[in-house]
Amino acid sequence: MSRVAYYPGCSLHGTAKELDSSFLGTAKALGVDLVEIPGWECCGNTAAHATNRLLATALPANEMAKVKDDLGLERVAVPCAACFARFMATNHDVEDDDTAHDVAQVVGRRYTGGVGVLNLVDFYHDEVGLDTLKAKVKRPYAGLKVAAYYGCLLTRPPKVTLAEDPEYPTHMDDVLETLGCEPVQWTFKTDCCGASLALCEQAVVVELVRKIVANARACGAQAIACACPLCQVNLDTRQGDIKKADPTWVDVPIVYLSQFVGRAIGVGDGELGLKKHMVPVEAVLA
Amino acid sequence: MTTTIDATLARRVNRGSGENAYKCYQCKKCSTGCPVAGFGDFHPAQVMRAVQIGAVDAAVDSRFIWLCTGCETCTTRCPQGIDIAAIMDELRMIAREEGRVRSDVPFANILKLNYDSFRRWGRLYEVELLALDKITRPSSFTDDVAMGIRMFLKGKINPLPTMGDRSQMKRMAQVAERITRDKRAIGRAMDLPAKAPAQSGPGGVA
Repeated sequence: MSRVAYYPGCSLHGTAKELDSSFLGTAKALGVDLVEIPGWECCGNTAAHATNRLLATALPANEMAKVKDDLGLERVAVPCAACFARFMATNHDVEDDDTAHDVAQVVGRRYTGGVGVLNLVDFYHDEVGLDTLKAKVKRPYAGLKVAAYYGCLLTRPPKVTLAEDPEYPTHMDDVLETLGCEPVQWTFKTDCCGASLALCEQAVVVELVRKIVANARACGAQAIACACPLCQVNLDTRQGDIKKADPTWVDVPIVYLSQFVGRAIGVGDGELGLKKHMVPVEAVLA
Repeated sequence: MTTTIDATLARRVNRGSGENAYKCYQCKKCSTGCPVAGFGDFHPAQVMRAVQIGAVDAAVDSRFIWLCTGCETCTTRCPQGIDIAAIMDELRMIAREEGRVRSDVPFANILKLNYDSFRRWGRLYEVELLALDKITRPSSFTDDVAMGIRMFLKGKINPLPTMGDRSQMKRMAQVAERITRDKRAIGRAMDLPAKAPAQSGPGGVA
């Protein structure tokens, strides 16, 4: 059994509770021991890097210093794509000595990198591994057509995320295929959903979501798999707004990758949180 | 439209972000990949040009910088390796510092409340952020109320904050803000035009 630190992040205790519970359920079933970082704090999100760069770099450094020095662990699982990108940005930025010095002033101890950061896709693809995952599948999906939606921050910018193929990634597709799904080829894999503009520029977000979901459906997808709380909430909640303007709109369920994995390996309905979605997901996860 | 030119703009952007706007040769790949290029006044390549020539009212005062979602497509595709998204962040910081955040950019308010919220509680307190946004930006009052209620009923919104290590957060924010303030003050002092000497004779300081 491998031991990995766990950083849930703010969304997983709020709008993305089902990502938290389904992720924990799958980790347990797949034999990964997750140790939550004690007293974890916000990663700073977009607001920090648009306001104070040093704090934006220091907040994840504070968490990774705890992982390395207090927990004695080498890797941290960060299922929220936005938090993941901030953690990776810190690992990139502290390579610069001046930045590392300033970060140490802020955090109160030195962190100069060395903690591996796993996003939701990495966790199943690399930490667990596709062979181990395949051996645990009890209820394979019989060729369910799914569009793997990566959004922005799992892969961009590649100098920070170290993504192999930032424009057309395939690791989430590989995980879905291992579960018996049939990943579709489509256009908007890594396009932006509008992220936190959803709170104030609703018209922009509705249009971005409409383009993404319409393309997934046009390419044959019966559901969209995602690995980011902002992507999920925007794609899930904004289809209602699209429908008001276009009554012919057909909803597409937006499912976390951890929910797809959990259903296939026998994690219970309560942990999967299938009732928390706006567009019902039970039909595709039956 | 008259344009104010500030020759120090590109240098200030460089000092804050570490990025050199003069490397941009206007291929416009940033703009063709930008998800919000069609929703604002300018697109990213135009903002880059404005930074190069020091057109502050086109760069710092643009609506575009407050529409940028930080999706990093521009940064990823720039053939010159410029972190364009970081430049947008820097322009937001300059706009705040100089008190020139325009009134029709609600995202500026959201970002400020978001920063204040995690700074206060150690973690983001979504209900407080949304409530304060509705109070400070009355035009948002009726937005998404029905959806908010549905999400609350599904248990996706916590009425009370969940807190991290608040004292450590407060300490970190104070130190980061002090270091940043000092460094930016030193940078600004370097930008001030050199004062003419009290008595400059022929052949004095040019």
